[in-house]
Amino acid sequence: MNQTHNKKDVIIVGTGIAGSLIAKLLSDHVFDVAKGKMIHRADAGKSDSIKEISILMYEAGLEAGLELDSVSSMTTYNEYIRTFYREEAKVPNSPYPNLKQAPSPNVLDMEHIVQPFPDKKGYLVQFGPMPFASDAIRVGGGTTLHWLGTTPRMLPNDFKLTEKYGITIHKPDSKEKTPINWPIDYEELRPYYEMAEFEIGVSGDVSRQEYPIDENMEKYYGNYVFPMEEIPQSYMDHKIIEGLKGTSVKLSSGEIPLMMVPSPQGRNSIPNPKYGKTKIIKAEPKESGYKLVLDSSEKEEYKALGSVWNPYMGERCEGNASCVPICPVQAKYNALKTLKKALYKLNDHENLKRNPYMQIQAQSVVYRLSVDQNDKDKISKVHLRRYTSKEKTDFIEESIDTSDAIVILAANAFENPKILLNSPYTTQNGVKTAANSSDQVGRNLMDHMVMLTWGLFPEPVYPYRGPGSTTNISSFRDGNFRGEFSAWISPLDNWGWGWPAFSPGSDVAYFISQENLFGAELREALTNRLSKQVLFHFEIEQLPNPNNRVTINDQYMDVLGIPRPVIHYELTEYEMKAMEHAKHASDQMFKRLGIKDFTKYTAADMNSVMYNGVRYSYNGAGHIVGTHRMGSTAEDSVTNSYCKAWDHPNLYIVGAGNMTTLGTSNPTLTLSAFTIRSVESILADLEIQLKK
Amino acid sequence: MNIINKILNVDDYYFDVFMSISEALAGFTVNELQSTGLAETYYTYVLKSLEAATFVEFLTVSKNILENSSGEEELKKAIQSEIIGNAGMNEIAGKVITMWYLGTWEGSYINDLSYKEGLVWNLMHSHPPGAKQPGYKSWNIKPVNSNS
Ligand SMILES: Cc1cc2nc3c(=O)[nH]c(=O)nc-3n(C[C@H](O)[C@H](O)[C@H](O)COP(=O)(O)OP(=O)(O)OC[C@H]3O[C@@H](n4cnc5c(N)ncnc54)[C@H](O)[C@@H]3O)c2cc1C
Ligand code: SF4
Repeated sequence: MNQTHNKKDVIIVGTGIAGSLIAKLLSDHVFDVAKGKMIHRADAGKSDSIKEISILMYEAGLEAGLELDSVSSMTTYNEYIRTFYREEAKVPNSPYPNLKQAPSPNVLDMEHIVQPFPDKKGYLVQFGPMPFASDAIRVGGGTTLHWLGTTPRMLPNDFKLTEKYGITIHKPDSKEKTPINWPIDYEELRPYYEMAEFEIGVSGDVSRQEYPIDENMEKYYGNYVFPMEEIPQSYMDHKIIEGLKGTSVKLSSGEIPLMMVPSPQGRNSIPNPKYGKTKIIKAEPKESGYKLVLDSSEKEEYKALGSVWNPYMGERCEGNASCVPICPVQAKYNALKTLKKALYKLNDHENLKRNPYMQIQAQSVVYRLSVDQNDKDKISKVHLRRYTSKEKTDFIEESIDTSDAIVILAANAFENPKILLNSPYTTQNGVKTAANSSDQVGRNLMDHMVMLTWGLFPEPVYPYRGPGSTTNISSFRDGNFRGEFSAWISPLDNWGWGWPAFSPGSDVAYFISQENLFGAELREALTNRLSKQVLFHFEIEQLPNPNNRVTINDQYMDVLGIPRPVIHYELTEYEMKAMEHAKHASDQMFKRLGIKDFTKYTAADMNSVMYNGVRYSYNGAGHIVGTHRMGSTAEDSVTNSYCKAWDHPNLYIVGAGNMTTLGTSNPTLTLSAFTIRSVESILADLEIQLKK
Repeated sequence: MNIINKILNVDDYYFDVFMSISEALAGFTVNELQSTGLAETYYTYVLKSLEAATFVEFLTVSKNILENSSGEEELKKAIQSEIIGNAGMNEIAGKVITMWYLGTWEGSYINDLSYKEGLVWNLMHSHPPGAKQPGYKSWNIKPVNSNS
């Protein structure tokens, strides 16, 4: 076995947004030996009494995906784009390498589950009863390479579902109920949301945000503007807004007025002059510990950050309309941008120079941690298998000693629990697995159930243009109905029926083979149908349920002999009832707009449920959440509010898996906010470590 | 309907028939089809992909229809009865139209360009996702190329 000896201060597993944010923030700080404190590089001056933090990142994806010098990154990325052009099924994973050594969950692998047998196609092993419908990608930069980039914040009530609506959930394998509040609230997280919005580069207009919240908007946002101006809403959005403005939808709980809100999003528009100078996120040392602040000390005006290989490319969203699965110009944020900032620092002459204290080792699949019981249950080793080429499945077994290092798992909400569950250790009370004294590792897997409704607008609205979605209906994000059924958010989709009906290909096929059209008539029929297509989403909140879970099982291994995630997943009445109500809401809005409904849910759909005699089908949202929840006590959660494992003094587990509940926001901004916050605790731990 | 530019060599004999019947089937002018830059590629691709006899049969039927129809209406009727009404011919016609519209043959893209040049995007005043970017804010207004 190959032992990596050179000592590191921090080991990070995964280069997605969670891992990259931590790498960036830590590499921006140095240890001031004289003061015994971590300080920001900008405040260190020329002091020679500083010590750099040495960081090693492991990444399961290919080496090429992490070569971030201009030429290599452009070559790799253009290869992704070419693959995307050629792939017939343009699903989220289509542009990226499909590795046998580090396979990724893929929506194309989803099958009907015929119990008791699992769907074993692809990477996930799905026992159901419902297939888990979302994917992720294992490449450098992680899943933000193919995310859409929608970045709403959570609402204050999302953090206190028990306190506000009396919702409780079951304890694992028990009839006993337990509350599900977060260990932090919105107010606490607000400054970190601003830091995340800075790092992602969010475009939006605070004054146009409107939500069903008890607080007023001044309290929600404070005196704040987004870094960049709002992304223009689509022509289609305007038509729908015109038709729905001032109206409401009737649900069993009463009339709900419609709020059509331009979505904040992580794609470049025009920098907002009111945002002022470019900022830095820096730690202010306190008597004990650290506080991160967003500081305006940089000299330059805020600039949009373009592509990794050329900052002048992608400074504006160009309307490529392919944000999922790939933005050709990188106007859409992805984690490689943050990673590159961690890897390359400005030197004295303001040139970019490779940061010698940071190393990223690619093609390295971490699969297990060792726990040292003689040393406060510290994580003493990280074990990985490094494969040597894309073609071959042989690998080199490696491990790194981490007894004097901080270990950060940032491998996403399937992989983090998988690694932890694969890390058993023997105690007086029997065999335990890492970080799992609460028995919550892998449990509470959540996603938004994306119920889609689609139809034809009475006049052309010209979809298939612009970013995936520029407007959402926020009205159903909170309300007393949450005591009974899920809240939801309704993005309007700019890309026609592409998702539910494989348009425009299916329309072409339909008119040719079913209607036998050709020539001018075919052209006209297609023009008519395609320019009127509208798609509404109902992204329905799922509650944490301890039985929805990721486990492992030694019968199901990948080619490197590493366990595959084994998934158990189902819906409860709480979510199904929301689908029923969402469909009522859709019917009312379609009627008012004169939209001819083409929505069709059939038993052949992969995810489909009958409720009150009616069928509803849904898709995954890519929001893989909850599998290592944070909480206030070690009994009911895996980490504290700083993402630090209760059970191990040198282990942090970060990503959407920490989310206690899902709410109705896309998760990445929120996970970024609390991941940034976790750095305060990591810096405090590093201070102790570096003083030794 | 006249066929111009008849013979260059044996393979090319039918090229113009292919383009003219494509025009009639897809509803785009030969000029519009040519401007994809893929006309020759598509022609040779189909030549390779279908059994020669089948493609020749399709083109011969097409050639007759084109030569014997004196106007739009007549051509349409002839296509209706001899191509659309005939299962085998219909299948090939469908594949040819799909190729022009989507750039695919039996579900696969012929090359990178064929994805980008799918005519279906022009129909709806859009562009292939990920290519031919229309520019910031373009989606905010009615497409400038729509004359409705
Ligand atoms: C189609 C789609 C659309 C989405 N749209 C949105 C959106 O609009 N808004 C939003 O907020 N969110 C969206 N999401 C969700 C968003 O992409 C994720 O929440 C986010 O990217 C998760 O970041 P992460 O860093 O936790 O994990 P990831 O990005 O998955 O990163 C994990 C990293 O760890 C690496 N890794 C994994 N396993 C190992 C291992 N064993 N050893 C070493 N390295 C490993 C991976 O290769 C990867 O680099 C979307 C997701 C999908 C799928
Ligand atoms: S619309 Fe295009 S340019 Fe804009 S973010 Fe999406 S893919 Fe990138």
